[in-house]
Amino acid sequence: MPQEVGKKYKELLRQYIDRQNEKDLYFGQQFIRKFIEKNIPPEDVISIHKTALMESVPDMPDSLNHSFDFLIEMMIHYGLALREHQSLIRKQEELQMEMNVALKVQDTLLKTEVPSVEGLDIGLVTESAKQMSGDYVYFLCDGNDKIGVAVADVMGKGIPAALCMTMVKFGLDSLQNDNTSPQNALAAVNRIVEKSVDDSMFISMFYGKYNMQDFSFSYSSAGHEPALLYKSSENIFKELGAKGLLLGVLPDFKYEERTVQLEKGDFLVIMTDGVTEARTETDFIDEAYIQDLLEKAKGECAQTIAEKIYEELASIQNYRLHDDFTIVVLKRD
Amino acid sequence: MEHRSSVDIYTEWDIVAARQLGRNEAKKSGFGTVDQARITTAISELARNIYLYAEEGKIEITNVIEDGLIGIRIIATDSGPGIPDVRRVMEDGFSTSGGLGAGIPGVKRLMDEFKIETELGVGTLVTAIKWLR
Amino acid sequence: MNLQVQLVEEENSVQHFKIIGEIDVYTAPKLKEHLAAVEKAVGMQAELDLSEVAYMDSTGLGVFVGFYKAVHATGGHVKITGLNARLQRLFNITGLGSIMDIVTEEGEDKDATV
Repeated sequence: MPQEVGKKYKELLRQYIDRQNEKDLYFGQQFIRKFIEKNIPPEDVISIHKTALMESVPDMPDSLNHSFDFLIEMMIHYGLALREHQSLIRKQEELQMEMNVALKVQDTLLKTEVPSVEGLDIGLVTESAKQMSGDYVYFLCDGNDKIGVAVADVMGKGIPAALCMTMVKFGLDSLQNDNTSPQNALAAVNRIVEKSVDDSMFISMFYGKYNMQDFSFSYSSAGHEPALLYKSSENIFKELGAKGLLLGVLPDFKYEERTVQLEKGDFLVIMTDGVTEARTETDFIDEAYIQDLLEKAKGECAQTIAEKIYEELASIQNYRLHDDFTIVVLKRD
Repeated sequence: MEHRSSVDIYTEWDIVAARQLGRNEAKKSGFGTVDQARITTAISELARNIYLYAEEGKIEITNVIEDGLIGIRIIATDSGPGIPDVRRVMEDGFSTSGGLGAGIPGVKRLMDEFKIETELGVGTLVTAIKWLR
Repeated sequence: MNLQVQLVEEENSVQHFKIIGEIDVYTAPKLKEHLAAVEKAVGMQAELDLSEVAYMDSTGLGVFVGFYKAVHATGGHVKITGLNARLQRLFNITGLGSIMDIVTEEGEDKDATV
């Protein structure tokens, strides 16, 4: 270590030994900051202290002298722990930077554009609880008269969920022609997911296809929350559930497909469990509550309906989402 | 003049013997108290790894003079299981390194030069040098 | 949040577990650890009593999916009992109710066994 540093330390130490002044302690504090900046390990600081003391107190007993050697040995481990800690912090910063890049990639890759189609008003709100979302909405425009919509929820959140989602997206991208029927689409994605994911990972997905010619909506569900259909003529909500297992559990699974008719003023709501499982501090919300909110907003356009539900549910949870939140509203004009 | 001496590591007490040898040699070569402690700590970590994971091995201490520089070389050899993933044991925070701050990355930090060679089922050879400044 | 897993009894090859508490992202690893210890046994008959589980999220469900797959792969059987209405709905919606053996408390629900 540089001699000057030792000299300066000795000076400060001597002054303090002489008069025990608070000011000297303050100077000492400023001085040690420079040590930290220059990464001087603690064992060196003790060595500097020992040397300074020996030079200032000529008749220092041997026992005290040895005690410093003992302390130097101990402090080597502290020094190593400190340097390991610093290196781990740098590593964490690198990871955070990579994470930010990954987020951007996810945003670009999994960007959902709400298509604009004649005769169907589409609303969408999707909000993630953490940095990366485990919910995914996919629209598939099939010719001019049919539109497919998939709402998926990957178990878990963060990076593993996002990676899994990319797989779902490419699975859906590869669908063509007949394969875009709800039951075929789910069966195809299920095969991909089952092969590729960990045993305790799974995805729920609702897939529906709206035919703008005959106003029929056919749908299948892979273990997903049932969608809601508002029947304007009867002023009631119907649950649209179909038998189907979560994606990724069994390799060959046949999904049930059902069809409903959309009359003028009817609308469909597809949600993830971040909507239906919203919890306040003391309680869960129930389906009746969501239906009430939808009932009140039924006259609005699809986007406003989706936004109103989000606003209400976010506010009762104090704007802290426990789970990713996604709601899609399809309203026949 | 090269002087070489070694300690076989079978028991925990042999770790102490290896430390003592290292400290004596470091002192003879003219290292100060802090560097003596660093060299000894490195020897201690390497000997402990042999004791814990290889069961038997050897710590060898050599004085080196190269290009007018004086230094001390530690060679730790064992015929243990070898290290499957060297990159992992060189990583900070590796869980089996035997506690925060020590382990193989610690040895590398304490010394000036460091080299590790390992083969599964054959053993591990670690060479580390500290130069006198 | 606390979670307890008890191996209640082990008769013949039936392992009977009682799970007490909430199964969420914080407690699921503990449940997974307990179940992983037994899931490799060939032809295992597992019975999981969830009558004292008030809440389970998707992470919890993931543990059951993983357990089912592991046990199923070695020709074993998973039976789940004591689901409350909320959990019953979760197992039904996800379709897990139709592949696992779900037994509902008597008198609570008319569609007893699925």
